[in-house]
Amino acid sequence: MSDAPIVNEFNQGPISCHAFNGDRTELAICFNTNVVSIFRKSGASWTQTSTLAEHDKPVTSVDWAPRSNRIVTCSQDRNAYVWTLDGATHQWKPTLVLLRINRAATFVRWSPEEDKFAVASGSRCISVCYFEEDNDWWVGKHIKKPIRSTVLSLDWHPNNVLLAAGCADMKARVFSAFIKGIDKKPAPSPWGEKLPFNTVCGEFSNGSGGWIHSVAFSPSGESLAFTGHDSTITVVSPGTGDVQSIRAPFLPYLSVIWLNESQIVAAGHDCAPHLFELKGQQWAFSASLDAAVKKADVGFTARDTFRRMDSRAQSATSTDTEVHTQHQNTINSIRPFSGTPGHVEQFSTSAIDGKLIIWNAHSISRGLGNLHL
Amino acid sequence: MAFRKIDIDALEEDAFGEEEIDFQEIGELRPVSDVESEVNTRAQEVRSLLQRGNFSEALTAALQNPPYGAPYHAAKARNTQTVMDAAYQVKVTDMTQVAKSLSPEEQDVLMKYLYAGMAAPEHYSSGHLLYWHEKLTEVAGQGCIVRVITDRRTV
Amino acid sequence: MSNTLRPYLNAVRQTLTAAMCLENFSSQVAERHNKPEVEVGTSKEVLLNPVVISRNDKERVLIETSVNSLRVSIAIKQADEIERILAHKFTRFLTQRAESFVILRRKPIEGYDISFLITNAHTEQMYKHKLVDFIIQFMEEVDKEISEMKLSLNARARIVSESYLSQFN
Repeated sequence: MSDAPIVNEFNQGPISCHAFNGDRTELAICFNTNVVSIFRKSGASWTQTSTLAEHDKPVTSVDWAPRSNRIVTCSQDRNAYVWTLDGATHQWKPTLVLLRINRAATFVRWSPEEDKFAVASGSRCISVCYFEEDNDWWVGKHIKKPIRSTVLSLDWHPNNVLLAAGCADMKARVFSAFIKGIDKKPAPSPWGEKLPFNTVCGEFSNGSGGWIHSVAFSPSGESLAFTGHDSTITVVSPGTGDVQSIRAPFLPYLSVIWLNESQIVAAGHDCAPHLFELKGQQWAFSASLDAAVKKADVGFTARDTFRRMDSRAQSATSTDTEVHTQHQNTINSIRPFSGTPGHVEQFSTSAIDGKLIIWNAHSISRGLGNLHL
Repeated sequence: MAFRKIDIDALEEDAFGEEEIDFQEIGELRPVSDVESEVNTRAQEVRSLLQRGNFSEALTAALQNPPYGAPYHAAKARNTQTVMDAAYQVKVTDMTQVAKSLSPEEQDVLMKYLYAGMAAPEHYSSGHLLYWHEKLTEVAGQGCIVRVITDRRTV
Repeated sequence: MSNTLRPYLNAVRQTLTAAMCLENFSSQVAERHNKPEVEVGTSKEVLLNPVVISRNDKERVLIETSVNSLRVSIAIKQADEIERILAHKFTRFLTQRAESFVILRRKPIEGYDISFLITNAHTEQMYKHKLVDFIIQFMEEVDKEISEMKLSLNARARIVSESYLSQFN
């Protein structure tokens, strides 16, 4: 049982998005193209079983509903499709979704009950889609006001009604996505009571501007964490009125998840997942989860220098920078892999270098004593 | 399409224009005279601290409440001069320590002024500012530079 | 003067790494289009503040960045007329072959000698740290090249004039 991260290299190009199925035996992944590939786990590696090809522009986001086993994909061609597995032929069949947006779709997520999904788009609105039995298609209702720019990411609250959105107009907002007929009235929460569709339950921003790349509700739904392009993470808890902005000395984060109520993992342009913890009442950066392993063969003896000159035609001091983390390029997506939503044990990251790595949340806390900044 | 005279994208009603973005980030603008008098008092305070040889405190005082906002051109130039005066007095060997003594907000503001100073090389000698940049990046990290680029509140 | 070279290149490297945080972003203005926002400039909220790093009033680097693209413009040191001509010819040679360069822009920005345009497509295909290394190396090499060219020009001119004027001896 190794604590080391499991690295999966696909060598098919940069990964734009990924999603695992309920029992983590299958993987839907998009390599920055118009098609989504489905892989099945065989031993230690993944073999491709099918391709979902219906979009004609790059697919921006994919999500796999764990219980109902449906996949939703959205792309820059203003469309989204819901794919269901045909039991007899083992083929994935697409169903049309009426998004009614006139710009690219950027992000999609199933709701916790899997009866709705929300699509973020560049037409400054969020389309909340539900299934209409009579016409056998998915219909969308728009959340428009007061969004002023492209919506970059979404996250659902555990109560299936509230939806958080991070936008390029530098604001993170929490909306009510209550659909009459599909949803039952939610219990009152610190975000509000009596919430008709399109109510704004909260509007937040980081201290210094910056597009909001990622939003995430805490497992209980009491708090919201979001990351901005100004390299800050903000955690808001409307119940206590607490708003904490942590300025990180690193490059911006593109994706964030909660491991449990007091730990957050964020990853982005620094190519490594970073852990933030709640100590007492204060959130602060703890450690990078990727103990950068320096290459052992960098020797400065005369023999090594000559060997370097001979084999790689490099002069005495090599000035090339090397990235010592597992991922060699920006990480753009983190998803929980194993454990419950309140206690994530493993999480997966996909990056533009074409690798998908599964990390262990425990190994970090054990080694935290040494990993100081 | 040189014959098209109307910029249709600018006329779109829902467009997120510059003034609106600035209003969202900076807020209500105070009258120009208020801001200018504040900048002048701060300049005096910094000058007296520098005369007493208190370089670190002078720099901290110079970095308080920068005049953010589009109409304050004169105030911004004056404040940049004040910050540069304080920054030039700090010796290269003391820079790391002074940078560490600043709060994260003050570090961000200092970085903004370093870039503002480098943008006018005919007024401010860039050599000293480059040393400052190196030391400040070591202390505050690349996140500080990212915040200068993303923050709409420019000096 | 040369003792500011190392902090200058260091500052440019750090700023470039901070500015090169690009991601795929479809145009908000035209559907199904994906354009470098720093060149289009119509959506103001996706553009970031341009920054200048200068070593003196002759050598500057301007970095303008947006959500999916970044423009780096370099002003090369040109001390006299000869260096001005050489720099102009050198940059023309490069910009005429901009396609094979991939990240080079065909026309430099006003006030600068050469410009690079890096988009999210480039950062997806190439490593970001290598792109930054390349630009820093370029800045170091261009100065060396121009000094070398100037030296060989002067040497040739001296040889020619010596052999011509020796006739009149």
